[in-house]
Amino acid sequence: MNIIIQNLKKNFGDKVAVNIDNFKIHSGEILGLVGNNGAGKSTLFRLILDLIKADKGTVRMTDAFIDINVAETEEWKDWTGAFVDDSFLIDYLTPDEYFQFIARISGKSPEELQQFLEKFQHFMANEILGQKKFIRNLSAGNKQKVGIMAAMLLQPQILILDEPFNFLDPSSQSAIKHLLKKYNEETGSTILVSSHNLQHTVDICPRIALLEDGVIIKDIDNSDGQAQQELENYFEISD
Amino acid sequence: MNKYQLYKLLRNNESLKERRHPMFDKNRFMKFLLIFMWLYYAAILLFMGVTMAIGMKGAYNGVAAYHVLDGWFPIVLIIDFWVRFIMQDTPVNQAKPYTLLPIRRSFLMHVYLLRSGFSLGNLYWGFMLVPFGLIAIAVHFGWITFIGWLLGWWLLCIADGFCYLFVRTLLTKHMAWLLLPIVIHGAIIAAMFVPEHNWLDMPCTILLNAFANWNILYIIALFAIVALLYYANFLLQNALVYNEISKKEEVEVKNTAKMSFLNRYGCIGEYLKLEVRMRMRNKTVKMQFAMGLGMMLLFSVIMYFSDVYDGSFMKSFICLYNYIVLGMMTLISIMCHEGNYIDGLMSRRESIYQLLRAKYYFNSLLLIIPPIILLPQMITGKMSVWMNLGYLFFTVGILFPILFQLAVYNKDTLPLNQKLTGKQGNATQQIVSLVILFIPIGVEKLATLLLGDPWGYILLMSMGFVGIITHKLWLRNIYRRFMIRRYINMEGFRATRNS
Repeated sequence: MNIIIQNLKKNFGDKVAVNIDNFKIHSGEILGLVGNNGAGKSTLFRLILDLIKADKGTVRMTDAFIDINVAETEEWKDWTGAFVDDSFLIDYLTPDEYFQFIARISGKSPEELQQFLEKFQHFMANEILGQKKFIRNLSAGNKQKVGIMAAMLLQPQILILDEPFNFLDPSSQSAIKHLLKKYNEETGSTILVSSHNLQHTVDICPRIALLEDGVIIKDIDNSDGQAQQELENYFEISD
Repeated sequence: MNKYQLYKLLRNNESLKERRHPMFDKNRFMKFLLIFMWLYYAAILLFMGVTMAIGMKGAYNGVAAYHVLDGWFPIVLIIDFWVRFIMQDTPVNQAKPYTLLPIRRSFLMHVYLLRSGFSLGNLYWGFMLVPFGLIAIAVHFGWITFIGWLLGWWLLCIADGFCYLFVRTLLTKHMAWLLLPIVIHGAIIAAMFVPEHNWLDMPCTILLNAFANWNILYIIALFAIVALLYYANFLLQNALVYNEISKKEEVEVKNTAKMSFLNRYGCIGEYLKLEVRMRMRNKTVKMQFAMGLGMMLLFSVIMYFSDVYDGSFMKSFICLYNYIVLGMMTLISIMCHEGNYIDGLMSRRESIYQLLRAKYYFNSLLLIIPPIILLPQMITGKMSVWMNLGYLFFTVGILFPILFQLAVYNKDTLPLNQKLTGKQGNATQQIVSLVILFIPIGVEKLATLLLGDPWGYILLMSMGFVGIITHKLWLRNIYRRFMIRRYINMEGFRATRNS
C-alpha cells in the first residue's frame, strides 16, 4: 500500500507544522522520519491518520485497486495500525484485555491472537501478560510495548509508529528492530517510524526523510547504510 | 519571604488556577454563563430571603419569623454540603504541586484550610440570610441581635464546609465513606419530616437564638466545634498528603471478570464489556453512579415514609428523576471520558458508532434498577405502575436520544480516575439537563390530561417505543454528525486532556 502526500499543509497559529509538496512512500518501504523537536514528525503522522485536519492538501493510500483519500472514508483503518502516544491506549484495561478487545472487534479468533502473542514473547519479557495490572499502572516502557503490539496485532498493511524506541530498555529496542524488519519482510507492509535515535533509524530504514520546520529537507537513500554520516552532520553530533 | 507573604502568594496562585481553568480559558461564554448562574442563584436567594421574612411575619402565632427559619437550618446545611461537591476541591489536591518545594507541608495545609474556612463561598447563603435578617430581626429586635444571629449562621456554614472537606478527603480512600453523610443527613431528614412535628425545630431554634442573644457559652461552644473540625481536617489532610507522596499504590487488579457471556454479541459485546469496565474501574464514573443511586434511594425513602412528595408534580418528578438520573449522570458528558483515548478509538473503523450502541444498550439495561427502588411506592399505590412504565419507555426512547445528541458536541476530556474535579458542564449540557428534567413532566401532564390514566402513559410508552425500534437510525445519524465534526472534537479532547 502506497502513501501519497500532496500539497499537505498544516499551521498552528503562525507556526508551520507541516508543509510537504509531494511525497510518496512506496508499498513495502520502511521509512524513517527524523528531525529535531518541533520538526513536525508527530503532526505528519496525525495527518496521515486523519486525527487532525489539514489546512490544505491530501493524504492518499493507493495500490493497484484502491485510491482513497484518508479524510473522506474510513476504509483505510482496516489495514492501518498505529501507535503515536498514550491516547491510543485504553488504560483501564489490562494488556490481556486490551489485546483481546482489539482482536475481537477486528474479527480475530483467540487462536490467531495467541499465535501473534507468541511471536512477541521475548519482547514482552514476562512483564506484560498475566500481570493483572491495568495499563495505566504499567511503566512507561511497558506501555510503549503494549501500544506497539496493539498496532501490529491485526497485521496491518500500513504500520505507523511514532518514536517506538522511547522508554524501551536496550534489549527491547533490539527486539523491536528485529520484529519490524521481519514483519516487513514477511508481509511486505509499509512501515513509517519516527525516532530521535539515529542509530536505530539507520539500522532498520532503507529510506530516511529529514524533517525541518514541517518541510522534508532531505530524502536520503539508506539502502547501504550511508545515511548515518549525513544525519550526524546535520544534527552536529561529533565525537 | 515571611509567612504572611507566602500565604498571600499561595492564595493568589489558587485564584489564578481558578481563573485560568482550561474550560474557561477556551470558552468565554462558559465563563460568562457561570457568572450569570452565580448572579441568578444569588437573586433567587435574595428573593427567598425577602419573601420569607415578609411572609412569615406574624404567621406563626407570634413566633418570631427567624425562629421559624432557624428550625430548618439543617436542611440549608445539607443542601450546602452537597452543592460543595460540585464546587470545591480538597486541600490535598491543592497542596500536591508544592510538596517538593521548600514550604512546610503543615503550613500548606493551614493555608488551604484557612482559605476554605474564610472563602467567600461560605458567605453565599448571606444573599438569603442578610435580607431576611434585616427585615425579620434588625427592624424588630435590633442590629446587635441581627449580627449575633448572622454570626451563628456563618459559623454553621464554616462547620459544614469543614465536614464536607473531611468526608470528601475520606472518599479518596474509599467510596464507602459516602455512606457517612448519607446516613447522617438521612437521619436528620427523617427526624425532621417523619414525625408529626419537626424534632429538630426546638434545638435548632435554641442554638441560633442563643447567638442572637449573644450567649457567650454557645458562642464559645460553636467556635470550639469549628476549631475541632479544623484540627481534625488538618490531621487528616496532612496524613493524606504524606500518603500520596510515599504510598505504594495498590495496583493489582482484583476484578478481571471475562464477561464471556457477552462474546456471543460480537463487536457490540466487546464494547459493552468496555463500558462495564469503564464504570467499574474508574473513580470518577463510579462516584457518579454512586451519587445517582444515592439520590434515587433518598427520594424513594422520603417518599415512602412521608407525604412530603405526595403532590402530583413531585410524584412525576421523582418518577422521572429515578429513571433518568443514572443515564444523565454519565450521558451528559458522553464521550468526555473517551476523550482520554479518542485517538485509539478513531483509528478503528466505526468504533465510535459501536461504542454509542453499547452505551445505549448498557444505559437501557440499567433501567431495571428504578422499578426495583420504586417497588414499595407502586405496591402502596403512591405511584402507579403505568407511570413507571410510561417513564421507563419514554426515557429509553426519547430522553436517551436527546442526551446522546451531546456526543456530537462534547469536546472536553474528563479524567477517568481522579477525584471529582468540579468541572462544570458547558452551556449545552446545562440546557439539556434542564430540558431532560422538566419537559417530560409537561409532556406527561398533557398526555394524562388529554387521555387520562392509563392512556396518557400508554402514549408515553408508544413514543418511547418508536425511539427504541429506530435506535440504530438515530445512533447512525449521531455518528455521521460526529464524524463531520471530528476534527473540532478531537482537538478539544486533546487540549483538555490531563487538565
